[in-house]
Amino acid sequence: MQPTNTTQKYNTGRSLLFHFVKGSKRFFGAAVLFSMAVTVLDLFNPKIIAFTVDSVIGGKEADLHGFLGDLLADIGGPAYLRTHLYILAVFVAAVALLGAVSRYFFRLMNAKGQEKLVRKMRDELYDHIIHLPLTWHNANQTGDIIQRCTSDVDTVRRFLAEQLINLMRVTILIFFAIIFMSRIHMGLTLVAVALVPVIILYSFFFHSRIGQSFMKVDEMEGRLSAMVQENLTGVRVVRAFGRESYEKERFGKFNELFMNSWVRLMRLLAIFWATGDFVSGLQVLLIVSFGAVLCVRGDLTAGEYIAFISYNAMLTWPVRMLGRVISEMSKAGISIDRIRYIMNSVEELDAEHTQTPEMNADIVFEHVSYAYESYPEQEKAEDPEDTGKRKKKDREEAAAQKPEPKRNENPNVLTDVSFTIPAGSTVGILGGTGSGKSTLMHLMDRLLELPEDGGRITIGGCDIRNIDRAYLRKNIGIVLQEPYLFSGTLAENIALTSERMELDDVRAAARVAAFDETAMKFSKGYETYVGERGVTLSGGQKQRTAIAQMLLRKPPIMVFDDSLSAVDAETDAKIRAALREESRDTTTILIAHRISTLMHADRIIVLDHGRIAESGIHEELLEKGGLYRKIYDLQQPA
Amino acid sequence: MEEETKTRVLPFFGIPAVLPFIAKYRKRIIVMILMGVISSAIDSIYPLFNRYVLNHNIAEGTLDTMPLVIGGYVALLAFQTWDNYVTTYLCSRVELWVNRDLRDSAFNHLQTLSFSYFNQNNVGYIHARVLSDTGRIGELVSWHMMDMVWNSSYVISVAVVMFLTNVRLACLTLLLVPVAIVVIILFQRVLVVLNRHVRELNSKITGDFNEGITGVRQIKTLAAEERMQREFEKDTEEMRSYSVKTAHHSALFSSSVTFLSAAALSLVLWQGGYLTMDGVMMIGTLSVFMSYALGIMEPFQNIISTITALIQIQVNIERLDRLLKTESDVADTPEVVEKYGDTFHPKKENWEELQGEIEFRDVSFMYPDGDEYVLEHFNLKVPKGANVAIVGETGAGKSTLVNLVCRFFEPTKGQVLIDGRDARERSQLWLHSHIGYVLQTPHLFTGTVRENLCYGKPDATDEEIWNALRLVSAEDIVRRMEKGLDSEVGEGGGMLSTGERQLLSFARAILADPRILVLDEATSSVDTVTERTIQEAIETVTRGRTSFVIAHRLSTIADADVILAVRDGKIVEQGTHHELMQQRGYYYQLVMRQYDHLSSNMLE
Repeated sequence: MQPTNTTQKYNTGRSLLFHFVKGSKRFFGAAVLFSMAVTVLDLFNPKIIAFTVDSVIGGKEADLHGFLGDLLADIGGPAYLRTHLYILAVFVAAVALLGAVSRYFFRLMNAKGQEKLVRKMRDELYDHIIHLPLTWHNANQTGDIIQRCTSDVDTVRRFLAEQLINLMRVTILIFFAIIFMSRIHMGLTLVAVALVPVIILYSFFFHSRIGQSFMKVDEMEGRLSAMVQENLTGVRVVRAFGRESYEKERFGKFNELFMNSWVRLMRLLAIFWATGDFVSGLQVLLIVSFGAVLCVRGDLTAGEYIAFISYNAMLTWPVRMLGRVISEMSKAGISIDRIRYIMNSVEELDAEHTQTPEMNADIVFEHVSYAYESYPEQEKAEDPEDTGKRKKKDREEAAAQKPEPKRNENPNVLTDVSFTIPAGSTVGILGGTGSGKSTLMHLMDRLLELPEDGGRITIGGCDIRNIDRAYLRKNIGIVLQEPYLFSGTLAENIALTSERMELDDVRAAARVAAFDETAMKFSKGYETYVGERGVTLSGGQKQRTAIAQMLLRKPPIMVFDDSLSAVDAETDAKIRAALREESRDTTTILIAHRISTLMHADRIIVLDHGRIAESGIHEELLEKGGLYRKIYDLQQPA
Repeated sequence: MEEETKTRVLPFFGIPAVLPFIAKYRKRIIVMILMGVISSAIDSIYPLFNRYVLNHNIAEGTLDTMPLVIGGYVALLAFQTWDNYVTTYLCSRVELWVNRDLRDSAFNHLQTLSFSYFNQNNVGYIHARVLSDTGRIGELVSWHMMDMVWNSSYVISVAVVMFLTNVRLACLTLLLVPVAIVVIILFQRVLVVLNRHVRELNSKITGDFNEGITGVRQIKTLAAEERMQREFEKDTEEMRSYSVKTAHHSALFSSSVTFLSAAALSLVLWQGGYLTMDGVMMIGTLSVFMSYALGIMEPFQNIISTITALIQIQVNIERLDRLLKTESDVADTPEVVEKYGDTFHPKKENWEELQGEIEFRDVSFMYPDGDEYVLEHFNLKVPKGANVAIVGETGAGKSTLVNLVCRFFEPTKGQVLIDGRDARERSQLWLHSHIGYVLQTPHLFTGTVRENLCYGKPDATDEEIWNALRLVSAEDIVRRMEKGLDSEVGEGGGMLSTGERQLLSFARAILADPRILVLDEATSSVDTVTERTIQEAIETVTRGRTSFVIAHRLSTIADADVILAVRDGKIVEQGTHHELMQQRGYYYQLVMRQYDHLSSNMLE
């Protein structure tokens, strides 16, 4: 995917990662400290048991030293403990309790850190995305952006909170285990540790292989899922052509392929698990037999032997996990790059000293010309296969070479358009699909930026490029042809941007938009839930909701961008009459391709292929016998 | 969708409903269980090696039996490795087989269900039944079952070994198990609820992103960025606090279980220590008890979480079962199936030729999920080759008639006659094989152009295909493509424009050479040239066929033999264009209203 406009704000994945981790650092730091405590405490108990077995039960001369030795000596030494064995049992339980408490805090701190981090990532991404220019949204696919915001975020979270922490934990564990073990017996420690790198490598290797298999499974699942999706959405076609048997066969084939891809993966996994068990088992055997030899030769006591075996058992699982962790870590690099792409795209920018002029003023379009920018084809940089460092450099280079938008190659959508809309007047803009009428409004609302050499638009004499963007948009109300309703109730949608939430106000606005009656027909009235998981409104109902939404906030400039197209003629007329009543001193711009919608406007501008073909009032234009007349004649019932 | 909030336990966790799917693999399942039991029994034996070494070799200071110990250990380990491999492999095979069979049955069953099912359940819901419920059930009969076997046989064999060794110490070790079970169950309950909530929040956040992105234009024109951000942060904050809460519970949970294990260990050390000092027990035996004490809590934890999973999977079983038991509202009688064959096994040799004469005789109709008749005592005779146009506003119920003609629904009262015989006297497949259907939003399947065009006629020759393309002026579209007929159209035909898809779906319909043609005319904004081409294509394909055109643009239907005007789901007017225009009724209004819309498009 090519950025529309990028900065190098976060020029490496690491800098972005550091940015997100800020604020969660202390939690992660605490987690690491607690994890150390867990490790040390876990390692203590085998030591106490060894002492119990050798000195207390076995009656051997205790080799007491260090903190633990002093403590035990203070209590009364092996002789006393022989008769008071419960003290040692309590001791073991107490150490375990401390361990459990540290383990709890380790996990809690880690969770706090990661959840704070994820929240920060989500919030910043969302904030950034809604502030990115419309052109960026047009150039990027919704599904892809959502995936970056959800599954890529999750991958990064897992990397930091699980993989990195795990790596650290296991390293700490190995480090301390080696210290504890080597105190017991150096040679045996070497035997125990010798296999660690082998096991890590082996598991790393396997998990990389398994990763490839997983991708195949994913692909097959995707195909199966798409097939079912198509069958379900196309159920009419399937039935009408009587092709159920064919569909059955096709599904059977995909189903079998999907299963087979799993079988291959499972065979690999079964081998891996079984051999993993075998290698770990062998390692235990090594310790048991070497340990036994050492014991028999008198180099090791029975208690030490038992302790050693527990230490060894503590290492087995974490070490086997480590290979997997390492093999999965590479995925995070790709995900962070995918997130970085969004965070590096440039938000809509405002001029340095913005103005907030009176908006109930003349709007002047001066020699406005505009062509859409085009972007190179999407690059497939997201290919999950390009893991590792090999491609990393390429990616960075690609990101460094900003593609120049090629504005000049595209034909103009608008060419040298000039006209004035006096404050408080109503202007109609007529034109077919592609005549540039919506672009004109997008430019006025700064959804699209007019290039420096594209003329200028002024409101009350002030270039809109210098007007505070939020201020500008708050004062221009645009009802889109296909308005978007957010999930929430009807009332919430209508009152979305206004402070007035009273039902009476909402209803009053809806009444002007000829929507009140419809809304009251719903069983829950204005409390009807709409949007993603609610009732689906028809196009006309959505348009009327949006009109009510705009009326409630009464902006000084109102634009109807073909926004009555899905409403039937009677309702259209009703709304227009009510609007004329309601908005006497509001500057109104009506965009339509129905003459009846805008024939009463103070001035009508006819756009044809991005140029003003003619303008004037209804009667003048009819008189003229140009394009307007032609359209008018065509629209008269035969 | 309908997430069950309260958990109730069905007999055998609802498994009997899917028993037939499992029974097929019973032999393999039995082998798998047996081998699993052996494997966990071996697991409980390993500490005994240690005991032997401690009690015999180390205590007596001799290495005499070491080779035997090593040999025995390696042999056992090798056997277990093989055993584990076979068990895991079998287990996954069973899972995958059951999954595949369930998916196949679900999908095939869907192919026979009537349209009311598809109208009442959305695509996402049905999709989840076929793909995710089946997966969960497959998991249940393999891995969850295996977990149960492994863990319970481990617990049992450990208990046996312990009781055989020292009854008193065995009782002591198991003393804390009931406590652990209570703790585990309590925590599981809380965690299940919390996890569900976190999942819900997670999909809410995905929904938020979706809204923020697809609704970005609206957000910008309303300058509502801050407000949206505030709303969003409310959700992410809730997510954060719930996730932390969940982590708090699960951390407390696992810490408690580990602590309980350690407590069991300290009990063993205390009492076992005295026994050892008294010479009743040897050090090796003490050591074995200590490792058992440490390892016994985890299997209990696994067993309980398996049970929790079983309870959760009940929902999936119920839902899938409901789908498989749903009967089609439109079904062929056994006599019809006997003569004409069923959906998957047609008896084409008995099929009659279809002429295309259709008659509605006193038809009343109410949708299965509706409560009002949308047709009452409707009569209409459509002669062979006639052209029927249906007009009305969006959502007025124009497709009802078409649904009846295609027998996607059956009349509540009255009859639909095809060539003079009740439609129910012949099989659905027979009728459908003679119908061509072109949707307003043309539906193409992933695959090549050829695969799509041949959808209604699999054995079409290239010549026939090109002829069909030529008839609808779609020849150029395909010629322009790099691989011609073998070019991929992308998912849902996504690599083609709407107009191109429309034309290809016309070609597809024409190629099947149906006697009855149903057209749901396009309203989508295609450019004028394409629009005209489509218009011509419609004229071509309807020629000589009994056709039903759901018209959105009225200019095309002036020559229709009958025009039916539909309002609020009911047919309000019926007649030719001329007759209806003279009536000055609803149709006249529609024509007047649509004129201006139409002509402005014609300008370009």
